[in-house]
Amino acid sequence: MAKARTKFKPTKAKRANAKSSAPTANWVGQPIRRIEEDRLVRGKGIFVDDQKLPGMLHIRFVRSSYAHAKIARVDVSKAATLPGVVCTLTGAEVKGMVQPFIEIGPDVGQKIADYPMAVEKVVYQGDPVAAVVAETRMIAEDAAELVEVDYEPLPPVMTAEDALTDANLVHPEMGTNRNWHGVFEFGDIAKAFKQAAHVVQIGRMHFHRFSSTPLENNAMIAVWDSRSEKIEYWSNNSFPAFAAQFLSPALGVRIDQISMKSFDIGGGFGIKITNYPYMALCALASRKTGGRPVKWAETRTEHMQASAHGNERTFLATRVALDKNGVVTAIDSKHVDDCGAYPRYEPLGCVIWAQVLPACYRVKNIRIEMNQVLTNKCPVGPNRGYSRMQQLWFMERVFDICGHSLGIPTDEMRARNYIRKSEMPYTTPNGCVYDSGDYAGMLAMAKRLIGWDEWKKKQSAARKEGRWVGLGIGSTLDSGTNNFGQARIINPGAPFSGQSKAAIAKLDIYGEVVISMGSVPQGQGHETTASQVVADVLSISPDMVKVKPGFDTEQNAYTGHTGTYASQFAVTGIAAIHGAASKLRNEMSRLAAWALHAKEKDLEFGTGAQGPEVRVKGKKKSINYWALANLVNVNNAGMPEKLWDVTLNCRHVYHAPFQLPDVKRKYGNLTLTYAAQVHVAVIEVDRETFQPKILAYACVDDCGRAINPRIVEGQVHGSAAHGIGAALMENCAYDADGNLLASTFSDYTPITAVNMPDLIYGHMESPSPFTFNGAKGMGEGGAAPVHTICAALQDALYPEGVIIEDSHNTGDSLFRAIAQAHQGESAKMVQVEHRRGAH
Amino acid sequence: MEIKFGGDFVVKKPQQEVYDFLVDPKQFCPLLPDFQSMEQVDDRNFSVKLRVGISHIRGTAAVKMTLAEATPPKSAHYVGNGDVPGGSTTLRAEFDLESATGGTKVIWRGQSNVVGRIASLAGGLLEPLAKKNMQRLIDGLKKALN
Repeated sequence: MAKARTKFKPTKAKRANAKSSAPTANWVGQPIRRIEEDRLVRGKGIFVDDQKLPGMLHIRFVRSSYAHAKIARVDVSKAATLPGVVCTLTGAEVKGMVQPFIEIGPDVGQKIADYPMAVEKVVYQGDPVAAVVAETRMIAEDAAELVEVDYEPLPPVMTAEDALTDANLVHPEMGTNRNWHGVFEFGDIAKAFKQAAHVVQIGRMHFHRFSSTPLENNAMIAVWDSRSEKIEYWSNNSFPAFAAQFLSPALGVRIDQISMKSFDIGGGFGIKITNYPYMALCALASRKTGGRPVKWAETRTEHMQASAHGNERTFLATRVALDKNGVVTAIDSKHVDDCGAYPRYEPLGCVIWAQVLPACYRVKNIRIEMNQVLTNKCPVGPNRGYSRMQQLWFMERVFDICGHSLGIPTDEMRARNYIRKSEMPYTTPNGCVYDSGDYAGMLAMAKRLIGWDEWKKKQSAARKEGRWVGLGIGSTLDSGTNNFGQARIINPGAPFSGQSKAAIAKLDIYGEVVISMGSVPQGQGHETTASQVVADVLSISPDMVKVKPGFDTEQNAYTGHTGTYASQFAVTGIAAIHGAASKLRNEMSRLAAWALHAKEKDLEFGTGAQGPEVRVKGKKKSINYWALANLVNVNNAGMPEKLWDVTLNCRHVYHAPFQLPDVKRKYGNLTLTYAAQVHVAVIEVDRETFQPKILAYACVDDCGRAINPRIVEGQVHGSAAHGIGAALMENCAYDADGNLLASTFSDYTPITAVNMPDLIYGHMESPSPFTFNGAKGMGEGGAAPVHTICAALQDALYPEGVIIEDSHNTGDSLFRAIAQAHQGESAKMVQVEHRRGAH
Repeated sequence: MEIKFGGDFVVKKPQQEVYDFLVDPKQFCPLLPDFQSMEQVDDRNFSVKLRVGISHIRGTAAVKMTLAEATPPKSAHYVGNGDVPGGSTTLRAEFDLESATGGTKVIWRGQSNVVGRIASLAGGLLEPLAKKNMQRLIDGLKKALN
């Protein structure tokens, strides 16, 4: 990452650690250092597992070794008698204490009885079957080993294709493994294929399971206070409003009886959204102990086995129509999403991919038949790039395979098919509106940064030496600020739509500007970007703004959409904060006008000798923040009645401008902003070991107006690391019996700095016309490296006849791919029909 | 992960005596590698504890066995299941007996399915370990029945 070439605009403002007398400046857009870093790198972060409450107990789960089995017997008697054990929980007991979690899906999905603990049978390896609560974590672990469970193994359902046959059922009460089915059809498919000059048919492709594996595993403390009948949670759940909506009916309490709190979180990437079943179990354990705090700190193996994985998707029977110039005119395909053993956040993924239906391309006629199936694997969760990356990977593979099959260079293929900058805002065939972007410009920049032409020459020379060197392009979108109305395409009865966030800005008694956010930051730098925005509103320096970290239902402003997910803080969170700060400024202005005997239009905000102040332009009349706060909070006798509504404690809710989609047509705007990334990679596959090695890597990002370019660049690096790891190293593979083959980091091999190539970084800005500041949500990254690396591998190995059909590629799999290609398998994988008049 | 083994050997003892030995867990179980204890539930069911381990993963395997099929003096088929460190196992052990020159031919088949963390942590080591232990068992049987 040493070669990053960042293109920052010239800075006028001083850095955040500059003196408070910094001149009025535009802090938004400046790469100031992250405020959070000081606390975190000094070990002053406060994480859940750091908390030690009086009387706190520890819970340990007993988990199934089997992927699919009936539970014949659970005997906790030996565990219960171990000194230090306070209580135990079994599935049968839990069933009597809670209602099954609500299901988002319609019809058969509603028949699933999703209890937080397995009751009659286990449906994935790691499924909790019992729990032990003890005075110490070690005692709980020892006691858990004394729990005896008898299983009667059942045949597991391990692939999407197996699931579709319904030969064995994950949840017999459903009568099928198909959790959701829908056809997304737009344009005139039949006509497009009839008129096509070329038709390319592509066989099975597969997007593998992986997880973003945050540094901090799931963790939580629950206290079920029997006196107040209130459940207090201290957790690292990243979507507490969603979790509360699931927990409340399951636990049989009003939602206001659930208090959610978080502080520092060591990464999340969406995976922690679905840790609510464990929140339920910790609460039940606390209730059973008479209200003692119960802590659960997940182990890494538990996280790998039973937290959540990203969605696995299989693409079948793909047909692509192209005109004589290689412009794709239609795509027809069948997709099967594997959501594991329980839907939980699903089947939302069955529509969320449609936010990026045509990816970066102008193709108008698209038909995708989407099935989602249940299998005996770990349930999925919204993993970074959730559901869209699978569709974007599919589209990138389609364009690469068509390009290679028709002899069109992959950069030219994109140039012919990209949505043009001049067409923005661009309405996709399913009614989504791409707000802005210049994909061709981004590709040009990426090619320039990496030295594309030079690498093409080197590739030619390398091929003459018999080396396998390939250049690949990955174009991707990071759709942000989702419209929950898309849930109605999944289930017309789903009571969700729109998107909102709330924030509070206040001037505290001694004049401190304090911001409470409705977000749950996990490393995104929310404190920093929020302080920059507020600093601009009040014409002060960011270090004069105190942004309260973490989330607290008792103190923060929040809505039912509150959480950090779907690449949206820069839009929704910041808009709420900006709105609250603007309201605060208005109140301060009214108050100052009265105090200074001036008109509001004659006032200006800034920093004077006594700190931040409001002053009369051109005169030596000013009032500082302390004095303003004093007037309202503790010294308000004599304040005129017209100012009694001034509280200097301002709440603002931002509502994203969404409409309900047309459910029947599956048509409508599903998300507000579209950040984009274009990556280019050069890869060599070793001819002896078949190991792929990245020789050069460039990434260009466009997330509209960057609030803090340093943070944007960090997010791009982080998402690139996740994508490279997913493409070449990380795989939640199972064997045929349902054993997860990567239940530790030794086997999963998550990417580290050692494995990262140098990233060449470029940044463009296409401001969003749909946000007040031109910013777009970003950070998920759209798994650009997965697309890019697959493209480069195919470019390297296409002369050998290889078609890259899986998103995960290692030396071993490439060895097999080359062997199969030499046996003519690739010819079966891709078939090209050239029609008359094609040339 | 599934592990399958099989083979045959000839012992000197007569077929009925070999059969009686194989259906008597008190005689048979101590031959199991790293045997710790055996608890007989009834004529056909018993629990056996074995010390097992691969590298640092060590502990006790508690396996419940059932004599699923017994045809004197021709065959004895066992099925079982239980817990091993980091996982669970189901297993099947079948002994078919034939008279042979100088004694009895024992035709044996073993099948074990190991599931759980152990399969990912030590999957590659399980098969050679099982093979080694199976050989120890066969060697023990040969010694006891000759």
